[in-house]
Amino acid sequence: MTVPKTLEDLIEEFKKLPGVGRKTAERYAMFIINKYTIDEVHQFSEVLEDAKTKLHQCSVCGNLTDEDKCYICQDNFRDLSTILVVENAKDVFSIEKASEYKGLYHVLNGVVSPMDGMGPEDINLESLWKRVINDQVKEIIIATSSTPEGETTALYIKRVLQETDILVSRIGYGVPVGLNLEYADDLTLSKAIENRKKIS
Amino acid sequence: MFINTISLSNYRGYKKADISFGKSVNFFVGNNGSGKTNLLESIYFLALAKSYKTVDTSTIKTDSEFARITAKITSDKDFSSKIVISKIGKKISINNKEIDKLSDYIGKIKVLAFLPEDMDLIKGAPKNRRYFIDMIIGQFDKNYLIELGNYKNVLKQRNELLKILSENHSKDFTLLDIYTEQLSTSAEIIINLRTRFITKINDELEQMYHYLSANGKKICFKYNPLIERDILIQLKEKYQKDIFFRTTSVGPHRDDYDFLIDDIYAKDFASQGEQRIIILAILLSIANIIIKEKKVKPILLLDDVFSELDYLRQNQLVKYLTTADLQSIITTTNIKDINNSFLNNSKIFSVKNHLIREDKI
Repeated sequence: MTVPKTLEDLIEEFKKLPGVGRKTAERYAMFIINKYTIDEVHQFSEVLEDAKTKLHQCSVCGNLTDEDKCYICQDNFRDLSTILVVENAKDVFSIEKASEYKGLYHVLNGVVSPMDGMGPEDINLESLWKRVINDQVKEIIIATSSTPEGETTALYIKRVLQETDILVSRIGYGVPVGLNLEYADDLTLSKAIENRKKIS
Repeated sequence: MFINTISLSNYRGYKKADISFGKSVNFFVGNNGSGKTNLLESIYFLALAKSYKTVDTSTIKTDSEFARITAKITSDKDFSSKIVISKIGKKISINNKEIDKLSDYIGKIKVLAFLPEDMDLIKGAPKNRRYFIDMIIGQFDKNYLIELGNYKNVLKQRNELLKILSENHSKDFTLLDIYTEQLSTSAEIIINLRTRFITKINDELEQMYHYLSANGKKICFKYNPLIERDILIQLKEKYQKDIFFRTTSVGPHRDDYDFLIDDIYAKDFASQGEQRIIILAILLSIANIIIKEKKVKPILLLDDVFSELDYLRQNQLVKYLTTADLQSIITTTNIKDINNSFLNNSKIFSVKNHLIREDKI
């Protein structure tokens, strides 16, 4: 072993991060040792700990928050009659960035996949049913991924809510905006044709 | 389609080999372990970019860094094809231009292979028959393989769910209903494509079998789907049973095929030689379907095909290959039974210790 143990430990920690290999981990470690002041290191470790201890799931929708309710659930100007169901908190960030949607969210934190040990009771569905019963919800928009598991999850939600008079919809799939048709793959194109829309 | 030449470097036992094939029948004659099958495998590798026997890297000659296969192919347009196999992966080029996507390459060179393993087809496990047929339908229809992938994925999820339902004694079948409906939609497509394909084979098979077997017996290739109609209803009827056994009891994943000769099951009586004739007849029927539908003549790879065939059947096969004008590459331990008139139209090579020499008659 040519690397001091303390340094090796740091490299190993960075290596655990997604997308980080040995070389990158070494660069990160050396950067901290050479370029960081001790105050910066303290700050780094503090935010790391805060992020882990203070962040948790919103008690209403399952989104990531450092308060009891996330900022969207607290927002009085949002449309309370619509809930958009997504797989994880990252999807909320993406949709919020588009600033098209003004309703509420529900974060499942997973998809139904018995193969991976995830049944309907293992994702954040119980609280969705409660919201549907108690709140003034008129429409549920399901925005799970277009993977087999995402589709199954969407179907499951639809089935459970089928007895209620809530409108359940699925977000549209098709050709990405700004894309030339020749670059779209076969499956996307057939989906796009299937989900075609009348020009109004 | 023809393969004109092939060059091997460090492929299995071959340090170097250059072969120039004939456009009709090519015999590779040699003793066991001389390298005949390795040569055949290299053509298969060239066509499908993988070995049918082992992992890719084991085709590299011991003590070598890489193996290389290059070939010149005549099709609508002539092209050269090159595969370099090394420990870090394989590189494929057409006309010296590297291919990025494997799926763009596979299918360019159409081969049909008869391998000793295929002898399991008639008496072996149903799994072998399903795999054989699935791969062949997949060659004609890429969507079939996609649908098969969908089906297997849903099946896996459904079986896991059945385990959970059985452990929890749960009576909530909402999710099971969803998987069952997805499975049923997929199953219907698969069953229809299989039925259609087997019908197509049967249209060719009778005549082909008649020719090769040189007898008047009637052959029938039968597809026996466990469920054919009302798939969803039948799947739903089996809920209790499926939960009890924790697995999906019916569906295309359990289907089987049968071969009947004069209405008797071939698996119950056919000798080794008779089985071989049946499999060859199927293979050549498939070749005919490829010619009709894809407008291209596939290259036939026939490994050790003559063993257990008598004099008459050996010559019927060679006669068919010669008259049908199909390029075929045949390995065998001897050609003493083959009629001279056929040998004159063929190329004969002898293989000894991984050295190949063309024999002039």
